[in-house]
Amino acid sequence: MTTYKLKDLAYARSGDKGDIVDIGVMAKDDEAYQILKKHLTADKVKAFFSPIVKGKVLRYDIDTLNSLEFVMHNALGGGATRTLCMDQTGKAYGPNMLRMEFEDDD
Amino acid sequence: MKKIRMGCGSASWGDMLDPAVELMEKGELDYMGFDHLAELTMSILQRMKDKNPKRGYIPDLLPWMRALLPIAREKGVRMLTNAGGANPEQAGTDVMALSKELGVDGMKIGVISGDDVGSRLDDFRKQGLKFENLDTGEEDIDRIADKIVAAHVYVGSESLVEGLEKGADLIITGRASDNAMYVAPMVHELGWKMDDWHKMGTAVTVGHIIECSAGCAGGMSNFWKEIKEPWRVAFPIAEVYEDGRTIITKAKGAGRMVNEWTVKEHLVYEVHDPENYFMPDAIGDFSKICVKDIGKDEVEVTGIGGKKRPDMLKMTIGYEDGWIGESEISVCWPDAYEKAKFCEAFLRGRFKARNLTIDDVRFDFIGMNSIHGPLSKMTENLEDINEIRVRVAAKTRTREDANQVRREVTHLWTHGPVGTTAVISPPPPRKVIGLWPTLVPRELVPTKVEMMEG
Repeated sequence: MTTYKLKDLAYARSGDKGDIVDIGVMAKDDEAYQILKKHLTADKVKAFFSPIVKGKVLRYDIDTLNSLEFVMHNALGGGATRTLCMDQTGKAYGPNMLRMEFEDDD
Repeated sequence: MKKIRMGCGSASWGDMLDPAVELMEKGELDYMGFDHLAELTMSILQRMKDKNPKRGYIPDLLPWMRALLPIAREKGVRMLTNAGGANPEQAGTDVMALSKELGVDGMKIGVISGDDVGSRLDDFRKQGLKFENLDTGEEDIDRIADKIVAAHVYVGSESLVEGLEKGADLIITGRASDNAMYVAPMVHELGWKMDDWHKMGTAVTVGHIIECSAGCAGGMSNFWKEIKEPWRVAFPIAEVYEDGRTIITKAKGAGRMVNEWTVKEHLVYEVHDPENYFMPDAIGDFSKICVKDIGKDEVEVTGIGGKKRPDMLKMTIGYEDGWIGESEISVCWPDAYEKAKFCEAFLRGRFKARNLTIDDVRFDFIGMNSIHGPLSKMTENLEDINEIRVRVAAKTRTREDANQVRREVTHLWTHGPVGTTAVISPPPPRKVIGLWPTLVPRELVPTKVEMMEG
């Protein structure tokens, strides 16, 4: 069994729209992208962010960019204008996500 | 084949001016676009206008135009900006006066209006519109009806195109979409039909790539270590051909970089569903987009698709929603972590003792967990921590309670653990503007352009 660290496989950038935080995850190469596509499910991302993100998490794939887009609802304490978080616009969610680790259980 | 070169001069209220000036001078541009508005900005500007009818546009507009207008005139670059905010008419009047002062003669300014629907909400409701909240699902704006500060609709580029056709050197809008600043020149110069959804999908996507200024050119970048001169910031250029082929680049000699990765970073930024990127002018589809380095600081973008523009437009209603009081103070070694916990207990107890009405409160230990919150990895040797900045933020119903929150933090200076210091000057209580995103039928929100000639 292999344990992957997302930080080794991908880059990430995040931002907000209302109370939604989007995280774009860009695989470092083709092989990494296949691993991400298989293992980095919306459910795993939702579980990882469960102390912070209260709503649903959706995943969209952009194969031509080797990238996955995660859209996280009720994620920012009510949105940039209302939140008590210092990261009012969700800019640091991308780097935070790079803490994720997951296993290839094949 | 026809082509145009468009530069981005701003991504937000408070963006940097000198990269815009450098780009105007060296970019060999036909157009420069500027976005100054965020979701909250319209409510701030509306309140400025309510207090003084001669205000309510982005104050940066005047210093920006002072620096850029003479160069734009010399180079023949036309500009489009949404800095008009809640008062595009006044912005036009003031920029026209400025152009005369600068000796820029014969200016034509196209002022776009129609996006401000604050005074029409009651009418809309009488017609049966309820304005369901897209974030929370609440069905009706009844709950906030008497607290509304502003309501603006994200409008598209139709009136901007008309202004360009009428010869405008400068277009000033209110809450037009960020990328309308770029869609309009493409439609005007490349002969793209506004119901050619493939082309319009391309236009909104190209707009998205460059509208965030340095966002596609090394700003907010994972590749920051590659930047050798951090202080030199460059804003991007989109060179767009009649057939839709696009090259993202920057002015020769400008700092930082534009490459496949920096463009990709921006393509995945704040887009939700990449197959359905909703904009007023079209739905962009970049689920099959290709980006390719074709030279140093030159990235070719192809494979963009598009779909018919949405029938409904996004409207954001801003409403008064209480106050936030916040402040910070520092604790130091030894026992910094225990001291920070003491401060938190002190403040929680004081808020109770003073009977403050607090709907929500958050404590951050800056340096430990203030950015990544509960997912932060705690250091193993807590006794080695040199210092922690304790921050509290509380949501209150009144200004007085918000003010008391920060005063209690100040008390830690003299009533907290030994060495507690660095109060500095706490920020004043912050009025909270809640945002209520909703939809409105497009046909209810016509826009128009008025030409001002100097």
